[in-house]
Amino acid sequence: MDEDILTTLKILIIGESGVGKSSLLLRFTDDTFDPELAATIGVDFKVKTISVDGNKAKLAIWDTAGQERFRTLTPSYYRGAQGVILVYDVTRRDTFAKLDNWLTELETYCTRNDIVKMLVGNKIDKENREVDRNEGLKFARKHSMLFIEASAKTCDGVQCAFEELVEKIIQTPGLWESESQNRGVKLSNHEEGYRGGACGGYCSML
Amino acid sequence: MATKSQPHQRPWRKGTSQPERDEALECVGRQLAEPGKFAYAALCAISLASLFPEPEDSSYRTEVIESLVKWLDLSEGVLPAMLAFAGGLGGEGTDTFAQILLKEPLLEENPKIITQDLMSFSLKDGRYDARARVLLAHITWLLRIPLVELEALEEHLLECLNEEEEEESETAEASRKKKERRKRLKRYLLIGLATVGGGTVIGLTGGLAAPLVAAGAATIIGSAGAAALGSVAGIAVMASLFGAAGAGLTGYKMKKRVGAIEEFEFLPLTEGKQLHITIAITGWLSTGKFGSFTAPWSSLLQSKEQYCLAWESKYLMDLGNALDSLWNGLVNMMAQEALKYTVLAGIVTALTWPASLLTVASVIDNPWGVCLHRSAEVGKHLAQILLSRQQGRRPVTLIGFSLGARVIYFCLQEMAKEKDCQGIIEDVVLLGAPVEGEAKSWKPFTKVVAGKIINGYCRGDWLLGFVYRTSSVQLNVAGLQPVALDDRRMVNMDLSSVVSGHLDYMKQMDTILKAVGIKTKQCRLEEGGTLAVLSPKVTESQDQALQNDAPAEPSSLGQEENADVVHDAPWSWEPVSSHELCLRDSAQARVSDPRESLEAREQQKLPSREEPFSTNSSHPSDYSQTTDRGTSNPLSPTSR
Repeated sequence: MDEDILTTLKILIIGESGVGKSSLLLRFTDDTFDPELAATIGVDFKVKTISVDGNKAKLAIWDTAGQERFRTLTPSYYRGAQGVILVYDVTRRDTFAKLDNWLTELETYCTRNDIVKMLVGNKIDKENREVDRNEGLKFARKHSMLFIEASAKTCDGVQCAFEELVEKIIQTPGLWESESQNRGVKLSNHEEGYRGGACGGYCSML
Repeated sequence: MATKSQPHQRPWRKGTSQPERDEALECVGRQLAEPGKFAYAALCAISLASLFPEPEDSSYRTEVIESLVKWLDLSEGVLPAMLAFAGGLGGEGTDTFAQILLKEPLLEENPKIITQDLMSFSLKDGRYDARARVLLAHITWLLRIPLVELEALEEHLLECLNEEEEEESETAEASRKKKERRKRLKRYLLIGLATVGGGTVIGLTGGLAAPLVAAGAATIIGSAGAAALGSVAGIAVMASLFGAAGAGLTGYKMKKRVGAIEEFEFLPLTEGKQLHITIAITGWLSTGKFGSFTAPWSSLLQSKEQYCLAWESKYLMDLGNALDSLWNGLVNMMAQEALKYTVLAGIVTALTWPASLLTVASVIDNPWGVCLHRSAEVGKHLAQILLSRQQGRRPVTLIGFSLGARVIYFCLQEMAKEKDCQGIIEDVVLLGAPVEGEAKSWKPFTKVVAGKIINGYCRGDWLLGFVYRTSSVQLNVAGLQPVALDDRRMVNMDLSSVVSGHLDYMKQMDTILKAVGIKTKQCRLEEGGTLAVLSPKVTESQDQALQNDAPAEPSSLGQEENADVVHDAPWSWEPVSSHELCLRDSAQARVSDPRESLEAREQQKLPSREEPFSTNSSHPSDYSQTTDRGTSNPLSPTSR
């Protein structure tokens, strides 16, 4: 079964505390929703295989803790990630305002510059919306991110968010091809090599 | 806080008498803030993944991580991430995690409490897995804690089990408890002291001590109590298992040429006790100074508890004499030969041997052939003994030269065939090994050995090349060249500058051990720091040794190196940190007894050998720090 998997992708979920990162993941992987989900400690990890355009991709999803006290741990997860899902809560403007900080952190710690970013506005099932859909869309465009509004509770847009992200990653060949060839090799020592290769592939495309 | 003032005091022991105060002291891990705990567990998980990536070890990794999460009182929710770390994902975060952990307020002043905590954790089930010790050393290294601390901690643990005299402050009730515990200890000893096949059972401290530690800790930890009980039963199981295994030595009977092993016995090299042991295996015996199995190992001090394997002395003596006569008779010609082999390395091995040498070959071929077979059988027997855990459940380091290395080779080969072979052997050192040097035949050893596999070879060792020529068609001899095994464990060491001939493996053992990074008495001494007073005496006696060796020993290279070591004191170049200072202070106060016994032991045991240090009773403080500063040696974890 493992043979027909095209590649393994490292996906990271970041965003402020309480915006529903773990709920999104839980909805995506287990198709359940828990309104009382406890705060994540450190990081959570889940694997799911999805099929996009006939290509099977195994997603290794790292769901980071949003709480300030765990913030020091996050830099260690950015390395080698091919896709990142940045989540905010449409009912809390402050979580939207903090997005800039997250993007800065992403830029600081991420090891590749062609990482695919997806902005997700969560909790659209709630009444008291504070952030308009167009605001989110504008922000996403400005930072060349994919954008979707979702609700982990009602299942709206969750599947779509992950699928689109994976689709975009697969469409960016330099991002994952070298990775899949070198599977099983320790990333730490070969990181530089990857980046060179990935970059070269990307440039020739242009 | 108490943790700072008495970092090494037996928390488990004191915990039994004053649980309410020591609860905090014991579970350092639990006191960390959650990010710290997470980083701690993640660091262990990532280290496990990098140290033991083999699929055979996956259940061990999972087991350790699951129980560590429980030990730290971390939420179950972190398990998926931890198991992902242990599965080899996310290894990039090591530095971040180490930094976070070191920034924990608890650790800022005293990072070694993490080592302490991890050790309590590793021992809580009453066994000390060799892999756990390698992990401990790795974490210690990641946190930039000197490796000395690890050994110091182990000694404190042991001390708490051995010494009973610091009871005066305890109440009557406490001493009653102690008596009960002692009774229990006795029972373990009775179980453990069963002997097999005439071989003295190796001490059982590790296996016995650990459950006691667990029992002590259990009163504090509570939940671990069940685990501790489990291991008490485990000891009994082990003892009975051992009886069965000891009877079933089937392998060697099949080979009618060699028949049964005639001699197999463990001789103590040092009298101390430690949570890890070292077994040294001699390659041959010769008349005179090196007439005993223990003679070459007189300076070895890798562990405080060391044994020497005595095997087939009759044949090894024949071999030694044959080697000597071969060497003495042909020394001139061989000097040229050796030169040739140094320059042309392996290629010449394929060419014919000089006729003059072949005429005397009969002298050596027979004893060599016999010993080759015997060493394989002895190795298999040793494997059975180690597998049956006669040494207790604690890590074992094996060191051997020449045929002794061959014993180790076959021991590992035999162990690799068994299921439960993991976590017993920590490091192995094979010096001038007359064994197959193909990487693929060494590959199975990675499963057995948790730490390092050190192959010490000498390209110009013509004697080894010669005696091995008829025994096997293989051109790859591990003792003549590096083993091209791609594994973090494999360490090849070219000893050509130290060893000028095969016989040097015995004569230059002290220097070789240092070159390989195994701790010797001298380097332990140097850790004490006051070497200046000792130096003249040391060199003097080494000069004597030089004179003694002179007739048979054309090269003085080894001695020169030896002397350099003495003067430059390479083991003490590190700046002494504040931790070490406080350690030394406390060590001086505590270790007075072991020091005396060490001296007495040396004096009584090795009267015939020059023993530069045994008579130095005027510098007692030199023995006070008997732990090592291991960061400079190859046994310290350098792989990631």
